Amino acid sequence: MRRDQNPGFLFDSEDLAEEVEIDLDLRKDILFFAGSMAGWTHWEVLGLPWNAPADRVREAYLDRAKIFHPDRFTGRQLGSYRQRLARIFQRLTEARDALSSEVARAEYARTTAPPEEVARVAARQIENDDRARERRARIARSHPLVARMVRARELADRGRRALAEERFEDAARDLHTASALDAGVGDIRPLADQASRKAVAARAREIWEKARAAELQNDLDRAQLLAEQAAGIDPGDPRHGIYVAQLALGRGALETARSRAEEAVRAAPTLAAAHEVLGEVLAAQGDTAAARKALTRALEIAPSLPRAREQLRKLPWSFLR
Amino acid sequence: MSQDQPFIGIDLGTTNSAVATLVDGVPRLIPSRSGQSLTPSMVAVARNGKRLVGQMAKRQAITNAENTAYGAKRLIGRRWGSLEVEDARKVLPFELVPGPEGSDIRVVLGGRAFAIPELSALVLAELKADAEAFFGRRVTKAVITVPAYFNDGQRHATKDAGRIAGLEVVRIINEPTSAALAYGFGKQMEKRVVVFDLGGGTFDVSILDVGRSVYDVIAVGGDTYLGGEDFDRRIIDWLVQSFAEEHQGIDLREDKMALQRLRDAAERAKVELSEIEQAAILLPFLAGGGDGRAALHFDRQLTRSKLEELTLDLVQRAIAVTDRTLRDAGVRPGDVDEVLLVGGMTRMPGVQQAVRAFFGREPSRGVHPEEVVALGAAIQAQALLHPRGDKDILLLDVTPQNLGIMLVGGYFATIIPRNTTVPTSQAHLFTTVQDNQSSVRIAVLQGASEKAVENELLGEFVLDGIRPGQRGEVDIEVTFEISAEGIVGVSARDSGTGTRQSISVTATSGLSEPEMRRIMDENLDDLLARRQVGDFEKLRERTHAILSELESLAPAVKATLSRSRFGKDAVQRAEDVVARARGALADQDLQKLSAVEESLDRALQLFRGLATGAGPAPKEQA
Repeated sequence: MRRDQNPGFLFDSEDLAEEVEIDLDLRKDILFFAGSMAGWTHWEVLGLPWNAPADRVREAYLDRAKIFHPDRFTGRQLGSYRQRLARIFQRLTEARDALSSEVARAEYARTTAPPEEVARVAARQIENDDRARERRARIARSHPLVARMVRARELADRGRRALAEERFEDAARDLHTASALDAGVGDIRPLADQASRKAVAARAREIWEKARAAELQNDLDRAQLLAEQAAGIDPGDPRHGIYVAQLALGRGALETARSRAEEAVRAAPTLAAAHEVLGEVLAAQGDTAAARKALTRALEIAPSLPRAREQLRKLPWSFLR
Repeated sequence: MSQDQPFIGIDLGTTNSAVATLVDGVPRLIPSRSGQSLTPSMVAVARNGKRLVGQMAKRQAITNAENTAYGAKRLIGRRWGSLEVEDARKVLPFELVPGPEGSDIRVVLGGRAFAIPELSALVLAELKADAEAFFGRRVTKAVITVPAYFNDGQRHATKDAGRIAGLEVVRIINEPTSAALAYGFGKQMEKRVVVFDLGGGTFDVSILDVGRSVYDVIAVGGDTYLGGEDFDRRIIDWLVQSFAEEHQGIDLREDKMALQRLRDAAERAKVELSEIEQAAILLPFLAGGGDGRAALHFDRQLTRSKLEELTLDLVQRAIAVTDRTLRDAGVRPGDVDEVLLVGGMTRMPGVQQAVRAFFGREPSRGVHPEEVVALGAAIQAQALLHPRGDKDILLLDVTPQNLGIMLVGGYFATIIPRNTTVPTSQAHLFTTVQDNQSSVRIAVLQGASEKAVENELLGEFVLDGIRPGQRGEVDIEVTFEISAEGIVGVSARDSGTGTRQSISVTATSGLSEPEMRRIMDENLDDLLARRQVGDFEKLRERTHAILSELESLAPAVKATLSRSRFGKDAVQRAEDVVARARGALADQDLQKLSAVEESLDRALQLFRGLATGAGPAPKEQA
């Protein structure tokens, strides 16, 4: 702790000039120590690297106590240095006391860690995590029951990932398998069901898109077939039924169209499009009153449906009903 | 260096004291002028009024029991009316009375009341004289040992005793630490040492880490009222009782001389039983038969096992204190590398057996239990007075008891916990509880109890002149310090303004400063009378007169100088002269005193001039 290594320290010339019976070098050491120690960690006070072990703490403490203990200056003129020496010794003792218990030392190390040390610890933590994962996998391979559980966990993870990426069929397959392997893997069952539903909807949607393509190519028979297929796959989605009804209406198969439209209204009484298509079918069949009722209902739900509005205007008024 | 300035280490014991020094770097006991290694800690006033100390006092103790004081150490620094003192009064053959302040204790010997430090001072002066005879020169610097468990008051009183004896007490150190010092002297080791110190009146146990020439005390414990005297008392009680049984209820306690003989015999038997299995106690003509009947003799055998039976609980008390101290420090008996036995009582086989059983190891026999403490004190004196740098030993001691203050409701708040390494300090914030409160009273205590009253009151501090302010707004920071000697200091500061606060202290035990002066003067008179130097006497009186006039002029001189830039160096010289004169007075050195006389006269002229502001201008002084 020679001051040469600490050129940043400013000595007060008045302090240095004070008439005391202490060598200049030691006077500088004392001034430097007393002036800097407030900002030092316990290790710095003892001149040790951060987190040095307890046995080195004792050694360093004794070495420094031998320099700064007030007893080393008995009978000498000390002036204001007396107070400084007492403070330094007390600071040394405080550092020793704080660092001689392993528990306290660890706690103190945590709160005083320098940034590079924090980074090092974090890196080691990640490394440790990786290693732990590897170890788990190794154990898994060697034991069937554990293997099953690990497999279930892996499948569940993969299924969740697939779900997030909207690969619903993969997700549904993995999640159902995981759930079957190990029922205890999280709340996997509802998630699996949800994935299944989404997979079905996606499949139906795919076929619906093909039906749309066929319709645009005016291949109405094929479109009708595909739309029926989609509705069959995902009967829970009324939009497929509506589409079937619309196609049937376009092709003049009014009975089919009507039964499909009525089904759609029953399945989704709050869906404007269902009422709209029913209204159109009824109008085509000439049941004006029923058509008006259906179309009005559609417009009540969604006032901006242009086709429904148009159809309603075209309907001849019948005051008989 | 030691050629210029002899130094000594003193073990001021309850029963015996010893003095040591270093000869050619080797610690060595200084024998008394009569050739003994130990000096009994006894003071007596003989029928002709002469003061007798040590061996001389002990020799006449039987015939002059009520004027022979012993065991002053058990009373030093204690308060009148305390449990220990009340207890002691019942069994001591000499009379105890309260001091003028009503708080300390006086011993009446030959019709004069002696303060306890005064008695200790007489023993110290005897040892000092022995040392002076040994060196052939004056000795003034000493390290004195006290039990580690002594509180601040007891340490203060011991220091006072040193001052009265004309010694500059360089340091008070703890006896067990001192013993460890002597044990470790010149050895290279790294060990955990326990010192088991059972002396004449006190019991101490200390745990130290010794190594790299540092003696680092980890923990201390003890009982200042457990020692050889208690063992003796058990024997005496047994003897008195068996005598009463034998002789139709004659109570030997009523006869002071008989009791003193019993005390002597009990101690002797106890010592003998450390060597042999059975000791005879034969005291012919112990009690007069009265009414013309034949005198009664006393003849009993005391066996070692009987002694052990009588004192079993005392030994167990010491072991219990040891156990508690180790627990305190988190040290298991098995962790200890060495157990040092110190104090005469550790010669008793029963004590050694108990220590062996507790630690599971053979205690060290390498040291002389009665001498080792004085030797350690001499080693420490050398290290403090003639430091040689890195090789020097360093003592790191701890404070034995919690230091704290009294809180509202009579509770004790610890400020510096026991076993804190000294020197140390701790600040504590006090605040006012009333608007414009101008003073705060703080009671400072030492002890282990949660209740303030069960601890030793060191003193009361009154903070005065607190700046006016709303209650709770003025914070006073009081700093409590414990020096390396275990002596407590208190200072205060207004933490708002940073100004220092005045503190007045009412010590509750020990001597007041004027009384100290009176006793010291008296002692000086005593010494002078003995030396019979009439010339010196006259010169002394004259010097005293000049010094006191100088002192009375000092304030006026200071006032004059504060207005002028002249004469500061002249006054400095005058002060040097005064210091030399005081030194010569203290040394009772006639030659030096005559040499300084002329300069002193001139200093007086100068001061007179300065004080009136019209005298001769300051001029160069010789």
